[in-house]
Parts: sequence; structure tokens; C-alpha cells
Amino acid sequence: MTQFVLAGVLGVLFALGTFLVLRRDIVRVVWGVTIISQSANVYLVTMGGLSGGVPILSHGGHGGGHAVSDPLVQALVLTAIVIGFGTTAFALVLTYRVYQEHGTIDLLELGEKA
Amino acid sequence: MSQQFVVAPLLVALVTAIATLLTRRFGRAQVTLSLLGSLGYLGAVALLVSKVDPLGASNVFSYQLSGWQAPFGITIVADSLSAFMLAFSAVIATAALVFSASYVDSFGQRVSYHPLFHFMMVGVTGSFLTGDIFNLFVWFEVMLMSSYVLVVFYSGPEHTQAALQYVVLNLVGSAVMLLAIGGLYSTTGTLNMADLARRVADPAAFGDFAIAPVLGLSALLFAVFALKAGLAPFQFWVPSAYRAAPAPVSAMLAGVVKKVGIYAIVRVYFTVFGAAAISELSLPGLSVPDDGSALLAFYGPVMFVMAAASIVVGGLGAVSRDDIDGLLAYSSIGQVGFIVLPLAIAATAPTEEIRVLGVAAALVYALNHGFAKGLLFLASGAVYDAVGTERFPDLGGLTESAPWLSAGFFVGALALIGIPPLSGFFGKMLVFDAAGSASAAGVAGSNAALGIALVGAILTIAYFSRAWNRGFWGEPPLLVRNADAKVSLVAVVVALALAIALLGVGFDVVMQAANAGAEAALDRQGYIDAVLGAAEGGSGGGHA
Repeated sequence: MTQFVLAGVLGVLFALGTFLVLRRDIVRVVWGVTIISQSANVYLVTMGGLSGGVPILSHGGHGGGHAVSDPLVQALVLTAIVIGFGTTAFALVLTYRVYQEHGTIDLLELGEKA
Repeated sequence: MSQQFVVAPLLVALVTAIATLLTRRFGRAQVTLSLLGSLGYLGAVALLVSKVDPLGASNVFSYQLSGWQAPFGITIVADSLSAFMLAFSAVIATAALVFSASYVDSFGQRVSYHPLFHFMMVGVTGSFLTGDIFNLFVWFEVMLMSSYVLVVFYSGPEHTQAALQYVVLNLVGSAVMLLAIGGLYSTTGTLNMADLARRVADPAAFGDFAIAPVLGLSALLFAVFALKAGLAPFQFWVPSAYRAAPAPVSAMLAGVVKKVGIYAIVRVYFTVFGAAAISELSLPGLSVPDDGSALLAFYGPVMFVMAAASIVVGGLGAVSRDDIDGLLAYSSIGQVGFIVLPLAIAATAPTEEIRVLGVAAALVYALNHGFAKGLLFLASGAVYDAVGTERFPDLGGLTESAPWLSAGFFVGALALIGIPPLSGFFGKMLVFDAAGSASAAGVAGSNAALGIALVGAILTIAYFSRAWNRGFWGEPPLLVRNADAKVSLVAVVVALALAIALLGVGFDVVMQAANAGAEAALDRQGYIDAVLGAAEGGSGGGHA
């Protein structure tokens, strides 16, 4: 059941991200990109499987020997999240610089000036 | 075994980046450190090359980070292919850095230029050396993050706009890459490239996973690599980003960073996915060859169409540009097409011989394009520095006021056109040779490849003749007559021009290295053995 819910949520998130990327407002574009990369992270977590127990903890807990969820994807996602923080911060600062240089964050107006 | 020299280039670049960051208040010391670090990097790469490619042999070395044995830990792998890419990147990077030391204004250098440059080199080096597909993503990000800031370095109106395009496109690309990697992991159960190569070659021995999703996911990954390499239809960011970046950075982006995309295509599709067979899938226009390399054969037509589109779009775009940088940017879209064209031939090649020839042609062309385009962007920077403009309507007669600089530009242009004895001649010749051999062997579409290569060659001659006529010949306007090219900048351009001539004259060595690189790229078993250990690599021991 969880898989289907998550698949649906992922679909909605990607759709929302794509919708925002196609907006005229740069800030929304940045949010869109952020949402897309975050949904990629959620996707990564689901790829490791969700049915197992907590890694390490379930070894010591009662009835050890349960199947454990794959901890590797979670390590990957941590890396990806950190990279995502850096790039999002940079993209937002860049948006501000674009506003300072052009006086607008409307992509159509930016295109007309160029 | 002590194989620390494999990580030496990575460490040297990282230490240099941090050292230049710490010394940014002491201008002279920072520049000295940066240049010394770049020389140290050159030395580390030379050491690696001498170990990997000692005369006549080619070895594969792997370094298991923190002693975690592959496939569980991250592995750094150096083979002839990595060594080839590293060697020419190191030379171009050193030239670009020496050029920047007198080109970029001192305030800019003090603020962030040197650390960013070296962090970008860390990312490039890591991408060339890593043996783990998620680690490749991380190195890509390291490289891209620095290049974002370097593109927006002048941060004027057009620079911020160009950087915005570049950043948004690459962020979406990164998300797509994560998706592809996640999917590959859940399908095959591994991230290690050698392990991946072994599993896709024989899915039945590793839990009998479905191979069809691997095709789709690898296609997703291919789009990301094509975006990095600036192949059509993912070439939109190239012209504005190259125009916005400072000249030495454009030289690096075109000469080195783009080649990371090419390297990733060669490594992942020829080494890793090369042995995957997709017999249960029938695709339009795809016949499954007998040797079982159907997944690679699928990429033949894909690469061909993208390469052909790049050559045409880049060539036509370059003919119509009004400034040197714009022309060079479009030209590099077309030239990347020339690098991928022999790869397309190699992917569909019926014999191992043609396959090696195709990959070697791509490597030689990548080397030649790296040197020539690096030189041309640096020359364009020197022109801008001397005249204050690089628009053709305001230029002309540069041969009179800056003869050495013009000579350097001329050599670079001839190298891209492919005039002997420059290295470009051999690059072009090998591309035609690969297409010709494939045509003789009766590969469908290889005549089309020959035709496209011919069209591209003619377009190259057209746009460089135009640049030469309008920028360097004729009556110099007042602005150009008063131009005073900086000796230090011109010296770098001339040195690179000499290097191109030298590479052409001593082409034997380059050809051997490229052949060794191509054979290493196609020697799947050697790669697997070196990473996973010879005992385990051949048989299919099953880790979950």
C-alpha cells in the first residue's frame, strides 16, 4: 500500500516542480527546481525498499534477524540533500543578483531586454 | 599495495584549493601558491600516467577509499582512459591558470578566482578517476558548483542572466541524474561501476533482474551526460555561458569540463553497459547483434543523430556570429559533435578493431579540441584585453598590431580545420577513417556519418575563414592600431600553439596513448578484475 501512496505523491511532486519551473517568475523557477531535486531524493529513499526494519537498531531489538531496510540509499540521500542546500542557496542569491542587475525577476521581461 | 599515487592529483588539487582560500588576503602569496599547486598537479598527473602507461604496457590501478573493499566502498580507478583525459586536462588547466594570473583583475583574483578554479579541477579530476556511479554525481556537483560561480564571475546584467540559465538547466540535470542512479541501484543492486558492468553482462547470475529498465535508466543518464557535453538538443546553455565567463574560464569549460561529459559517455556506455544484452526487447531500427552488445547498439543511432545535429547546429550558428566568443562557443557545439560521431560508429561497429578505432578517434579529437579551443578562447581573451572589444565589426587588421597573437589564433583555427602537421589533422583523419572502415564493413548509416563529417569540415573552414578575414586581415581601425597586447598573455597563447604543433609532429605518442585509452575503455574484464580483485571478478559470486 505504501508503495502506491508514495508513487502517487512522487508523481504529484514532480508535476508540481515541473509546473513551477515553467513559470515566468524566477523565484518560482528556483522553487520548482528545488521541489524536483527533493522529489528525486524521496524517490531515492523509496528505491531502497520501505518494508524492512530500522538498520542497526533492529539487530539489537527483540526478534533480531528481521530483514533490514537498505541503509545505503539513506546515506546517498543525505549527500544529495547537502548538495541541494548549497545549490538552492546559490540559486536564490543569483536570483537576487539578477534582480539587482535588471530590476526585474520576470523571465519574459529579461528575455526582451537581451 | 601502496597505490596512493592514484589519488595524488585529487589531493594536490584539493590542498591547493584550500591553501588559496586561506591565503586570499595575501595577493602575491595566493597567486604563487595557486601556480605552484597547478605545477604540482601536473607532476601528480605525470606520476599517475607514468605508472598507468609505462612504455608498451597499460595497467589499471584501483584505490579503495578508507580500505573498504569494492563493491562496498568507493573505489578510485586509474586506467589508460582516465590517464589520457587527465594528462591533457592538466596541461590545458595550467595554461589557463597562468593566463588568468595576468588576465583576471587583482581584486577578482583575491576574492575567489583561484580557489574556485582549483575546486573545479578537483571535480574534474574526481570525475575522471571515480569508479562509483553515485560518486560520479558528487564530483559532477563539485565541478558544477565552482563553474556556476565562475560563469557569473563578472556579475553584470548579461552574466547573471547567462548564469541563471546555466544553473537552472544543470540543477534539473542533476535531479535527473539522481533519478537514473537511484533506479539503476534498485534494479541492479549496486553502484560500483565494475560491479555494475559484471551484473548487466550476466543478470542471471545476480538475482536475475530485468535488463529492460536498465536501458531506460541509462538513456536518462545519457541525457545528463549530453547536457554536460553540450550536445544537441541540450546545447542551449553553451553560447551564453561561454560568452559570460572570463576567457580562461571559457577555455576551461570548452577544453576540459565538456570533456568530462564525453569521458562519462565513454566510460559508462562502453565499459559499464557495453556487455548488456537486451534480447527480449525489439526497438524500431534496432537489430540485435550476435555478440550480445545490444544495449550499446541502441546508442549508436542515438549518438549519431545527436552528433549530426550538433555538427549542423554548431556550424551554422558559428557562421552567423558577430563576435569571436560567440563563434567559438557555437564552434565547440559542432566540434563536440565531431567527438561523438566516431563514438556512434564504435557503438554499432561489427568488429572489435573498428570499435577501438572509433573510441581512439573520439579521444584524439577530444584532445585536439581541448588544446585548440582552449588556445582560441585564450586568444580571444587576449584580443579583448588589448582592444577592449571582440566584435567583428569593430575589429580588423590584428595581424599588423598583434602579429604573434594572430599567429597563435591562426594555428588554433588551422588545428580545428584539420591541416597537417597539426594535431587536428590526425583527429579529423581518424574520424573519417573510422567512418570509412565502418562503411567498408557494411554498417548501415556509416555513409551518412561520412557525409555529415564532410559537411561539418566545410562549415569549420567557412566560419574560421570568416573570423580570420574580418578580425585579423584588412585595414585596422584606430582602436586596433593602438592595441597593445600583453606579452604574458600572448606568451601563453604562443606556447599552446607550439604544443599543438608538437602534438602533431610527435603524433605517434598521442596515437599510442589514445589506443591504450580506447582499449582500456573496452577491456571490461580488465577493469572488473582491477577493481573487484581477479579471483572474484570472473566468477559470479553473489552479493546481495
